[in-house]
Amino acid sequence: MQDTLAHLKRGEKGIITDVSSIHIPLKLLEMGCLPGNAVQLVQLAPFQDPMYLNINGTHLAIRKETASHILIEKTTHE
Amino acid sequence: MNTIIQNILVFTALILAVMFIVKTYIWSPKKKKTKACGGDDNCGCH
Amino acid sequence: MSKQINVALIGNPNTGKTSVFNALTGLNQKVGNYPGITVEKKEGICKLPRGVKAHIIDLPGTYSLNASSLDENVVIELLLNKNDKDFPDIAVVVSDVENLKRNLLLFTQIKDLEIPTLLVINMADRMSYKGISLDIDYLEEHLQTKIALISTRKNEGINNLKNLIANLKDLPIKPCLNASEIDQDYFDNLRKAFPNQLLYKLWLVITQDVNFGKTDRNEIGAVANFKTKSKADLKRLQQKETIKRYQFINNVLKKGQTIDISQAKDLRTKLDRILTHKVWGYTIFFVILLTIFQAIYDWSSIPMDFIDTVFASLSEWTKNMLPSGAFTNLLAEGIIPGLGGIVIFIPQIAFLFLFIAVLEESGYMSRVVFLMDRVMRRFGLSGKSVVPLISGTACAIPAIMATRNIESWKERLITILVTPFTTCSARLPVYLIIISLVIPEGRFLGLSYQALTLMLLYLIGFGTAVISAYILNKILKIKSKTFFVIEMPNYKLPMFKNVALTVIEKTKSFVFGAGKIILAISIVLWFLASYGPGEQFNNAETIVKAEYAPQNLNEEDLKQKIASHKLEHSFIGITGRAIEPAIRPLGYDWKIGIAIVSSFAAREVFVGTLATIYSVGSDDEATIKNRMAAEVNPILGGPLFTFASGISLLLFYAFAMQCMSTLAIVKRETNSWKWPVLQLVIMTAFAYIVALIAFQFLK
Repeated sequence: MQDTLAHLKRGEKGIITDVSSIHIPLKLLEMGCLPGNAVQLVQLAPFQDPMYLNINGTHLAIRKETASHILIEKTTHE
Repeated sequence: MNTIIQNILVFTALILAVMFIVKTYIWSPKKKKTKACGGDDNCGCH
Repeated sequence: MSKQINVALIGNPNTGKTSVFNALTGLNQKVGNYPGITVEKKEGICKLPRGVKAHIIDLPGTYSLNASSLDENVVIELLLNKNDKDFPDIAVVVSDVENLKRNLLLFTQIKDLEIPTLLVINMADRMSYKGISLDIDYLEEHLQTKIALISTRKNEGINNLKNLIANLKDLPIKPCLNASEIDQDYFDNLRKAFPNQLLYKLWLVITQDVNFGKTDRNEIGAVANFKTKSKADLKRLQQKETIKRYQFINNVLKKGQTIDISQAKDLRTKLDRILTHKVWGYTIFFVILLTIFQAIYDWSSIPMDFIDTVFASLSEWTKNMLPSGAFTNLLAEGIIPGLGGIVIFIPQIAFLFLFIAVLEESGYMSRVVFLMDRVMRRFGLSGKSVVPLISGTACAIPAIMATRNIESWKERLITILVTPFTTCSARLPVYLIIISLVIPEGRFLGLSYQALTLMLLYLIGFGTAVISAYILNKILKIKSKTFFVIEMPNYKLPMFKNVALTVIEKTKSFVFGAGKIILAISIVLWFLASYGPGEQFNNAETIVKAEYAPQNLNEEDLKQKIASHKLEHSFIGITGRAIEPAIRPLGYDWKIGIAIVSSFAAREVFVGTLATIYSVGSDDEATIKNRMAAEVNPILGGPLFTFASGISLLLFYAFAMQCMSTLAIVKRETNSWKWPVLQLVIMTAFAYIVALIAFQFLK
């Protein structure tokens, strides 16, 4: 099974491989959430949701539910 | 004379005030029809 | 000859666009609304070199030209409508040096509209701090533009920016990439069908829901019907377009921008770790709220007492100096106390707006949204509902407009419905005066009882909002996608100029907006209280003299008796006593009743109304507060404002829906009368019941 953004742990990084466009609004894509871009989980809010991400240099927060529609490939820690 | 002027001023002020209140709350000028947001109309709620 | 050019400032949120606007226009700005809609329109004038005058519009912040809210629509509508009187001669795209990549997306879209476009890269002072360096010449060449590297914080580069705007003829208007490559056939067909129109403009018309001016609609109306693709296909194309644009941007930035990460110092991570911590995060948030309320209460009491005294002596002075007569009375008893009732709250309102502006400017507000989302969701709200709920403490109207960025319609509707429960600044005057009358002085843990009561009222407001949200969430059967995106901007030290301008602007609109209504109402009230029908009013002097003849009252007391007899039989007294049976169970007399009724125009009218009613016929130099404290309960005897009636009144104001302007906004934002009417009926009925219980229980 492939990892999604929702599987990232704090501080972990990955590369976005695919976004299922039906579930993801255009606005999120415009903020840089596109295949090929690097992503890092900066912080989790209390109760593990929402997720504070750094996507391609943009810092934003999305809910876990949305994050689970974004497929990623984990990269090792730097 | 003085009383008359004072009374005129009071009624002018009163009429102005009433007109202002009526204009603000009861008779609002017809606004240009614009698409308002509401329901699932894709305004900010995708 | 001086000519004027139209300049549109466009940019992502959080890029310091407003700082650029403030730097260019200074105090030469005004805030209004776009016709027919409640989107804020900021415009100003800036003098450019060589006698050129620029008319600058600060457009709402947007991430792209694909609009997803009313505010963003304004941007597209202006850019597509060549006939608009504000149509820009030059578009100035403001970007932030740390988020250049994302900011450039909007830039490439605007370039496609073939309007002369200038790129402003703001926050240049942070470059060395973040290890960023830019090859401006390379970027200018590949982005087909001129670049102004500025720092509004250090006030650097502003003159250069003005120069570049003045020389707008030097700006290339070619697009910087060819986006139609994403589906060549489709775009070729489109071009053939409408050869005279700009391709990207056509594309926007097809994909967006744009309102055009009359002239444009005829030529472009047909385009909207050019639907050879399904909605899903169009969305896929938009996605491809976005990817295409990012590819181009990435390529340009690969050479034009270098980031040396080892140079970057990261304050953000450290601050975030504390401010969004599961314990410290909430603690800090609570402490901040507590500080705000203590400040509003304690710090502003000095200027408020001063203003109160000044207006009282001004009334007295007017009465003594001007020839006596009806108009002098109107001035001294109607207009001056009425004005005093509004001016006195300037210090508090300014403080409140100051805190909200600082929280927004610093980037802290986004952290609160992040921190609260999970909690708020349990109540059917979004983390973004926190912003309306907090700015609702200033005024429900902008707060309800601030719900526009909540993505889910259900969450947004619930937020709109419960926001009026939060304690807006219009309730503050009422709370303050009643608290100071019925809550004893004294301190608990360093906080005064009075401040604590105020804090409690704010908490009751929030609490009721949240609980009603929970109930609404269970009742309302609305299916809508829940979705949530928020940018987490960098922490910034708030800029003094921005904060100061916001505070001035908001306070001004509060004073002049509400002030006009309050003034008008106090004139009408004074009239109604000073004139009356029939024997009882017109012959008050004879009647009272006859009644009290055996008691041999002195001059002063007799005058007082006549005045109160007159007031009781004036127009307002008659009306007031007619509604008295309905409000007596709550512990109010007819004077408070009149004040409550007039509060439906605006809550803060309450104090002004009481001030007017109480000052009619009295000629001592008492302040509003002293007059209220001296009122006697007509039935029970003793002071009218007791602990019980005071608490009852506080609770009534906490829950009742008494603001016509809010109802109007709710109608506009929900596009239906159903919701505002429900709000009015349910909230006011609830307020009545709670106030009733409170008074009967406490008396």
